Amino acid sequence: MLRLTRRRMVQLTGLGAAAIGLMLSIPAIGFLLSPLFQKTRETWVRVGALPDLTVDQPKPITLKVPSGEAYDTTPVDRIAYLVRKSDGATLVLTNTCSHMQCDVHFDPTLQQFLCPCHGGLYDVHGNNIGGPPPSPLPQWVHRLEPDPQTGQTILFVKNAYDESI
Amino acid sequence: MLAASLTAVPGNLFGNGLAVALVVLLHVQIATFITGASTLAVVSESIAMARNDPRHARLSHDLVKASAYVFTFGSAVAIFFMIWVLTALWGLFFVDLQRITFYMFVFEAAAFVVEIALLYSVYANWGRLEAYRRARLGLLVLLAVVLWFQMFFINVVASYMLTPNGGDVNQLSQVLNPTFLPLQLHRTVGNIAWAGAVLAFYAGLRYLLATRRARREAAVGTVPARSVGAMSASRFAPGSPPPAARDSRLPYWDWLGQWGVLWAVGLSLFQIWIGYSYAKEVQLHAFPAWFRMMRGALSNVFLVQIFLLGMIFILGTLYFWRRMTASGARGTRTQIVCLVIIVLATLLAIQPAWFALSLPDVQAAHLDRPWWDGGLLNPIGDFIPNKVFALVVIMLCGLVAITSYLRAYSRGEVRMGETTRRLQGVLLALGVTVSLMMATMGVIRENSRQPFLIHGELRLQHQQIVTTPPQAPP
Amino acid sequence: MLRFATRPLSRRFRSGYRWVDERAGTTDLVHKGLYEAVPDRGAWAYTLGSATLVLIVLQFFTGIFLLLTYVPSFASAWDSLRFLQTSDRFGNWVRGMHLWSAYVLILVIGLHMLRTFLSASYKRPRELNWVSGGILFFLVLGLAITGAMLPMDNAGYWTTVVVTNIPHYLPFIGDAIRTLWRGGDFVGPITLTRTFAIHIWVLPFLLLALIGAHLYLLRRHGEFGAWVNYSTTTDDPDREIAERIRRAEPPYPTLRIERQYAAPRKTVGFFPNQLFKDTVVSIVLVAIIFVFGFIAGAPLDARADPATLTYVPSPEWFYLPLDQLLVLTPQTYLIAFGVFLLVGLGSLALILLPFYDRSPARRPLSRPEVLVPGLFLAFMVVILAVLGVNRLYGL
Ligand code: HEM
Ligand code: FES
Repeated sequence: MLRLTRRRMVQLTGLGAAAIGLMLSIPAIGFLLSPLFQKTRETWVRVGALPDLTVDQPKPITLKVPSGEAYDTTPVDRIAYLVRKSDGATLVLTNTCSHMQCDVHFDPTLQQFLCPCHGGLYDVHGNNIGGPPPSPLPQWVHRLEPDPQTGQTILFVKNAYDESI
Repeated sequence: MLAASLTAVPGNLFGNGLAVALVVLLHVQIATFITGASTLAVVSESIAMARNDPRHARLSHDLVKASAYVFTFGSAVAIFFMIWVLTALWGLFFVDLQRITFYMFVFEAAAFVVEIALLYSVYANWGRLEAYRRARLGLLVLLAVVLWFQMFFINVVASYMLTPNGGDVNQLSQVLNPTFLPLQLHRTVGNIAWAGAVLAFYAGLRYLLATRRARREAAVGTVPARSVGAMSASRFAPGSPPPAARDSRLPYWDWLGQWGVLWAVGLSLFQIWIGYSYAKEVQLHAFPAWFRMMRGALSNVFLVQIFLLGMIFILGTLYFWRRMTASGARGTRTQIVCLVIIVLATLLAIQPAWFALSLPDVQAAHLDRPWWDGGLLNPIGDFIPNKVFALVVIMLCGLVAITSYLRAYSRGEVRMGETTRRLQGVLLALGVTVSLMMATMGVIRENSRQPFLIHGELRLQHQQIVTTPPQAPP
Repeated sequence: MLRFATRPLSRRFRSGYRWVDERAGTTDLVHKGLYEAVPDRGAWAYTLGSATLVLIVLQFFTGIFLLLTYVPSFASAWDSLRFLQTSDRFGNWVRGMHLWSAYVLILVIGLHMLRTFLSASYKRPRELNWVSGGILFFLVLGLAITGAMLPMDNAGYWTTVVVTNIPHYLPFIGDAIRTLWRGGDFVGPITLTRTFAIHIWVLPFLLLALIGAHLYLLRRHGEFGAWVNYSTTTDDPDREIAERIRRAEPPYPTLRIERQYAAPRKTVGFFPNQLFKDTVVSIVLVAIIFVFGFIAGAPLDARADPATLTYVPSPEWFYLPLDQLLVLTPQTYLIAFGVFLLVGLGSLALILLPFYDRSPARRPLSRPEVLVPGLFLAFMVVILAVLGVNRLYGL
């Protein structure tokens, strides 16, 4: 017959509880960590013909892109700043501050991007030049293709940033 | 039209600038002292009443006396400043400023009337009011409040000149301009710190004067010269106390010196982040001024300022360390560690970020590469992140040093009177450093606005009209 | 006449009560709760703890009411609150009370902390009172900030973006934490659901458990009060203190405690003396919240707009000092230095205060080693808040 001492009781039930606990924690922790292994669904959006741009004058346009996070499929409004550089290249900047991801906007008098949250400053090409932001404004992942019919340059944007911030 | 009706005053922009700078510096150092001193007088008088401490009773009386004397001189300077320098040499600018910030000036000037009445009644009746100490304290509090109000109004004007809020003539938006609150905090803390530095300086000077004769005696007498005040009285054979110990005033000067240092260094701790926020507002609202200050012609003056700031903490910690050693207190190792870290951080913070007058110079010469690539840039001296980091470290170490000193003091391990003559040198240096720092800040502030007198509003050239003979009237 | 009419009722009530009491021991319980000795001097300062408790209870009540309408979904949260504000009668009032009582709660818990700090109530044997209290303080702040995210108006949305982005700067695990909180790389539909779960379940559960511990510990050691209750008046302090310890009521004297602070000079009953003052303070505070909730209500910004070029996000006022710190520690390693090293280590140092401030001294001026850093911290928080206000509101 099992002689149940107090010590023995604690040992036995403790062992059992630990085993059950370990088993329970597999689904629990796995469930908690699942966002780490989910991928955002990537979507390309055809924005339209590239508008006329003045060199070094950022121009904001509104995009409709789905975030692609979790079960979200509805497109939401987002901003892209189009900047023509003097060498002819075009930047498609996001307006997401690299500091804490607030929406920055272009200030025409200062000729700088200004972040309202903590006063981050970027130059017209999106390089961080003052305040808290640790890196430049990221660009939208994009491609420019000539339209076979009209010959216009068409802008396509993916729902992703070209560098993680 | 106004310009045309005024006749030329001899002088040029540079000479007039120098004139205004000198008078303003004098004026500022006096005004800030009186504001800070009145506050410290309230503190000391309260402590004296609560704890019956004769040192604080004496200090509050001394502060009132000093304020009265300095006020007499200071108001003379203020009148001189207003009438001669501002209206004559900078007439157009000053009239314009008066017009914009009219009520601020009215309140500011009116405060003088109340101050004179209060200060001189307390000063003249100090002894008579001894029986009514609460009433006397009340008068002192009132005086301090009026002085702070005066500073408040003049800060509106000062911050308006740098960040005029789009040139609005609306009274409220003048008060609420972007640098008003930072300036307000900066000066609130700074005035008291400056008064503390003056106290430290004065105490050091008086200690040196009081021990001068004793030292001379000691030099010819039997007691070794080095030992005056440096060692505790127990070192000497009974019957021959050290000459210093004979002077009952010495413990007071010693106590006053450390009291001043504590205020000067303790309140300067806050200045680091206040100053940063202030500069950030200037960057956002008067970018050209900020650029001159941090990247342009004034950037090297700014390095001097950082050096002086570091020196305040170095001298403060040095003082705490040696003062604790002089009394044989425990905890000096903390002070040494703090001192070393502060020195290293200061060395990091005073590195120039480029070896030229200004960043645009470097860029114009196409040498904007690190010096190890043959350029003129020094990335180690970048404000962000290295200088910011160094300043925060200085702030934290300064806090530790003060805490450690006060801990020793509260356990009675720092006995008053056991100081050394050399330590008084540190006190003098601290006073001079704070004074220089105020001057440097003034230079940076006033020059950062060029070519404007009021940022974005009134140009320096407009002022020039007055100083050159007017054209033939139309 | 009236008396006659009520008598049978009260008699019936009395017998009913006796029935319950015989089975549940309610009278004993009430006596245990009420008959407790507390130090007689400084009683108004000791009302802050119970005021905190009352406000937390109020938060639970008003919160449950809000749950009757609120929908924790990215798409509908704003609409549901808009409906509550405009169509539910008194909805705005209830929401206003939830908001204002949170604001007052933060102030009161801060004052409670300040007073126990100044009176050094956290010293042996009450270290765990302080530790549990310190964790409670951060739980309350956590509740406040997660609560601010729930409306999904512009203010709530940008608070969510900034606050959930902060962990990202933690080395090594930062990105993972941000992803887990947001349920993805960016603020999306799952972010609100998770924040909601934290605000409604996780933090309140921890809060209740710790409040239980906090109050148990309080009763175990008795109210310390402040040093004013412990000075000796006779010229034989040793005998006086020994006599005091002999008379002491709650289990004040513990082994190895500094004798002078073992038992207060004079105590009064918690009921009625302390309880009266507690009630007065709580009633005043609740009345203030009641009125403010009605007059000021709770604001609801425009619906969240992730593509704005004009909106200036401004954090809740209690979060302003930290927001200003983000300005002051810019770029590269400084962000992590400011947020995690300065704030993190500072908070840890605060919670662990009783373990390094162990001198017997209780008067503030005789322990500058904690008073000076404490005052520095308090002033710094105020200064940073003022600077933050200036930056955001153009004051
Ligand atoms: C949910 C939050 C809290 C509640 C409901 C609460 C409640 C109470 C109550 C009712 C008391 C007794 C009355 C009084 O002394 O005020 C008390 C005492 C105390 N509390 Fe809290 N408290 C909370 C948070 C805190 C915090 C944030 C701290 C500090 C970090 C703290 C530290 C203490 C200490 C040390 C005592 C003992 C005071 C003494 O014995 O003199 N509490 N608390
Ligand atoms: S979020 Fe842009 S500066 Fe902080």
